[in-house]
Amino acid sequence: MRVLRRILASGEGFSGLAMLAVLLAVALAAPLLAPGDPLAIAGDPLLPPLQDMAHPLGTDRLGRDVLAALLHGARTTLLVAIGAAAAALGIGITVGTVAGFLGGWVDEVLMRIAEAFQTVPAFLLTLALISVTGPRVTTIVLGIAIGAWMQPARITRAEILSLRERDFVAAARVIGMRPLEIAFREVLPNALTPVVSLAAVVVAAAVLIEAALSFLGFGDPNRVTWGSMIAEGRTVLRRAPYLSIIPGIALVLTVLAVHLAGRGVAHALRSRRVVA
Amino acid sequence: MRRAGRLLARRLFGALPVLGLVAIGGFLLLEAAPGDAVDAYLAGIGGGDAAQVAALRAEWGLDGGPLPRLAAYLGALLRLDLGWSTAFERPVLAVVLERLPNTLLLMGMATLLALSLGSLLGIVCGARPGSPRDRALSLAAIAIYAMPGFWLGLVLIVGFSVRLRWLPSGGIETVASGLAGWDRAADIARHLVLPVASLGLVYMALYLRLMRDGMAELWRQDFVRAARARGMAGPRLVLRHVARNALLPVVTMLGLQSAAMLGGSVVIESVFAIPGLGRLAAEAVARRDTPLLLGVMLLSAVVVILVNLAVDLAYALLDPRVGSGTGG
Amino acid sequence: MPAFPLPRRALLAAAAALPLLPRTAGAQGIQHGGRLTVAADSEPPNLNPAIIASNGVFFVASKVIEPLAEASYDGSDGLAPRLATGWTAAADGRSITFALRPGVAWHDGQKFTAADVAFSALEVWKKHQNLGRAVFRDLEAVQTPDAHTAVFRFAVPTPAQLIRNALPALTAVLPKHLYADTDIMKNPANRKLVGTGPFRFAETRPGEFTRLVRNAEYWQQDRPYLNEIVYRVLPDRAAAANALEAGEIQLAAFSAVPLADLDRIAKVPGLKIYSNGYEALTYQLVVEINHRRKELADVRVRRAVAHAIDRDFVVRTIFRGYATTSQGPVPKSDRVFHAPDLAGYGFNPARANALLDEAGYPRGSDGVRFRLRLLPAPFFNETRQFGDYLRQALAVVGIDATIVSNDTPAHIKAVYTDHDFDITVATPVYRGDPAISTTILFQSGLPAGVPFSNQYGYVNPEVDSLIKQAAATIDDAERVRLYRAFQKLVVDDVALINVAEFSFITVARDTVANVSNNPRWAVSNWADTGFTG
Repeated sequence: MRVLRRILASGEGFSGLAMLAVLLAVALAAPLLAPGDPLAIAGDPLLPPLQDMAHPLGTDRLGRDVLAALLHGARTTLLVAIGAAAAALGIGITVGTVAGFLGGWVDEVLMRIAEAFQTVPAFLLTLALISVTGPRVTTIVLGIAIGAWMQPARITRAEILSLRERDFVAAARVIGMRPLEIAFREVLPNALTPVVSLAAVVVAAAVLIEAALSFLGFGDPNRVTWGSMIAEGRTVLRRAPYLSIIPGIALVLTVLAVHLAGRGVAHALRSRRVVA
Repeated sequence: MRRAGRLLARRLFGALPVLGLVAIGGFLLLEAAPGDAVDAYLAGIGGGDAAQVAALRAEWGLDGGPLPRLAAYLGALLRLDLGWSTAFERPVLAVVLERLPNTLLLMGMATLLALSLGSLLGIVCGARPGSPRDRALSLAAIAIYAMPGFWLGLVLIVGFSVRLRWLPSGGIETVASGLAGWDRAADIARHLVLPVASLGLVYMALYLRLMRDGMAELWRQDFVRAARARGMAGPRLVLRHVARNALLPVVTMLGLQSAAMLGGSVVIESVFAIPGLGRLAAEAVARRDTPLLLGVMLLSAVVVILVNLAVDLAYALLDPRVGSGTGG
Repeated sequence: MPAFPLPRRALLAAAAALPLLPRTAGAQGIQHGGRLTVAADSEPPNLNPAIIASNGVFFVASKVIEPLAEASYDGSDGLAPRLATGWTAAADGRSITFALRPGVAWHDGQKFTAADVAFSALEVWKKHQNLGRAVFRDLEAVQTPDAHTAVFRFAVPTPAQLIRNALPALTAVLPKHLYADTDIMKNPANRKLVGTGPFRFAETRPGEFTRLVRNAEYWQQDRPYLNEIVYRVLPDRAAAANALEAGEIQLAAFSAVPLADLDRIAKVPGLKIYSNGYEALTYQLVVEINHRRKELADVRVRRAVAHAIDRDFVVRTIFRGYATTSQGPVPKSDRVFHAPDLAGYGFNPARANALLDEAGYPRGSDGVRFRLRLLPAPFFNETRQFGDYLRQALAVVGIDATIVSNDTPAHIKAVYTDHDFDITVATPVYRGDPAISTTILFQSGLPAGVPFSNQYGYVNPEVDSLIKQAAATIDDAERVRLYRAFQKLVVDDVALINVAEFSFITVARDTVANVSNNPRWAVSNWADTGFTG
């Protein structure tokens, strides 16, 4: 609670969280605000915004409502972004904790694997993975996470290394806890804060990677995302610029909100550590 | 100098297992993909009959199991043979080396732009953290960061190539122009302006952030306060003590970003029709050209390893504990 | 067009145009000289049109290597002579005699003779060519009584009509002296083409461009007009329109400019849109059906799916009017073989619903009768969009389709090897005669793994026997009758659902003359294309 209050106290944190809250509310309420399938053909194609009040933001090439796509797109976009961040942090934290706590050859092997992943352009890896699995929301999430888990892993490992010789770890050993149990139950919670502040970066990056994948034709065609709306709108960029500008603005605002909130969180966590 | 030499040797040797992992992992990944190079080829030529399909698979060595083929590939790799590209019907090494300079040029210029402009603006912001100028610049940088690179590129093309006609809309140089020497260099430079801007501006925000935050943090440090107390102020303090120390994480980021930027160039090279490694990799995936994709991956891994090595050397030069000793 | 007229820009534009300035004026206001830069989206490594009969290869190679005859709007049999000046078929269907053009030289100076034609036919088209392997399967020998006569002898009676229809796409002639006794598939001339055409191959830079230059010794006097053709590789869909408007290229064929952008491009001064010139390259938008799937094995369900599709909407919205609705496997553009009396399946969701009820698939509580996996081929923007539309159209009649999006090799494997699909969106090409690449979509008993063939589990012995009978019929009128009966059968069966037939759009600067003046223009030799003023 104190952390939350501190986040809200900073102007950046407050505005970021407020924007995110609105976004989340829109995403959750999308089926109420725009009932039905957002991919349904609802009117004449390429209707500009503010002309027909049935489609306040206009329609796309097939006559699908842009507003409905935008609202439902918020759901998938956030789902992909948050899912990818959670998966990346999950993999990274696990690998980092195991490597840092066990050390030895396990550490050596895991870190070499992380290094291998880091030397290959993440986007390339994601692209190859998705062409193997086919573009579905789950595989897109996984594909993005595969390219983003290394930094969380490294940071977690560094934190664990600095903590594992502390007294409370020795104490846990004395009472007979198993090493991995100590690692995950005792050490990890103390190492989490710097890792969590990475989440904002991953969330923002995930939104953009999803857009780039859609551009190359690797979006999930059964779901609307802002990235796929922009990618789809680019062929008519000159004729109907609104088709890529509207989701583009939504994208910029989201990344901005995530970024500001992330800074607020990092700031609050940092000051807590100083206090502690 | 000898220390640097030893570092170099150790790093390159240490990179071998990493390269091996990249090769094996990449091979197995593409192997698991549905459809092979023959399927991709047949789609391109509009089909063929069963006998032809079987003959092609045999000729391209696709009829065996994945493991014997992996073994054969790794064996060839040990002799520095990158194999044969089925998509281009040429040796992989030739195809890849042909494209490397373009990508290096694009990445190098984009990094230079991102780093210099980002650091400069970061210093401007970090000189007075929290000022309106800081907030406005930071916000603008994030807004650019939040634009998908391909979209930024398309907007720049419409603005500067189609409407104003100041710059070419794509390609690495004027086709079959017959230019040479400085004229050719100037021609290439003109072609690079828009793609470099699209790729570099996106990453600029990262460097701006790092520089700004690093500086904001440093203002609170004792040695900066001491310098201030000694009466040092203004640009000299900002540049000599604060900015210089804040440069360290920026340099670290440079190493980390080199791989990411190579990924970003996949999209930018497509938008601007630049024949580079990024577009080549995407083509290799689309045509199931395993040796070619691995060739690109290995080459880019080597590039990334070398960049990181350079970063480490730069770090040693910049680190105050090694350098002039203003810190600590 | 530019917003601010700046003197500096005008200067640059003038400098860029300098090497393009035509040299001398010729007939019809077309001038000799100039470089035509065109957009290319693919760059096949093997450019040999005698081995790979595909439009991607022809686009470049047809300017260098010529076929025996080219398609024509006004020639007899729809053909214009190229390397052959005439052809006569024997009454028994066992031979065709070609009179060859005298005084033709290869680009390396050697003389073109009947030996080149005999070698190309027997060693290349029959053995290696993707389409020729079927069409020339029964070609037994090619006799060359003199240097300018070639007699094709067939083991079984072969319809002359089929061979004539195959001439433009399947008969690119290679120089025997460069190919004899070599590994034909690996011959270096597959990359650096040597032909008899109006242009010589000059150079290629992978990922950037391919350049052709004028053949001063071309057999047709005073042709070609152009000095150079440069194919510039532009992989992104938005690139061609931008490059055209920026004046960097002068022509974009094969709908390189997206259809959705055409309304706008039409208003740009200096650019001209051609919607003709592809009549012999008709693509068909079809829904492929997996007849192994229980629901789809019932003809009533297949008819219901066919009734659920609003073909007019598809043509109007997805193709922006640049297509025609279609009901059967032979397109309307082929006036000889097309069966005009097919009833087909009109847009009628009520009928579709009734048929599905009748077939025993009532709607569940969620309104869904059953679920299907829909695999749109990733080849064209329009196939993906039609996939999006089809999913919506099927939802209306209670069929819930999930789109499975694959890249090209994965799609080919899933559909034509693994049969792992329920319905697809595909774009088979109609190549001027039903026997070339159309009947293979309906004939049963083909092995798995052959792309663009009947891998749908569709079996109708009556259709098989019609196909077989037509293949051996040498009388033109009888062939037509048989293929019309064949069309009626497969449409009644709903073996596939033909939705639309489409070709492509060319956008060019209005200074480029003689664009789209034959039915295969984009893949013809461009000898008479040039700049005016």
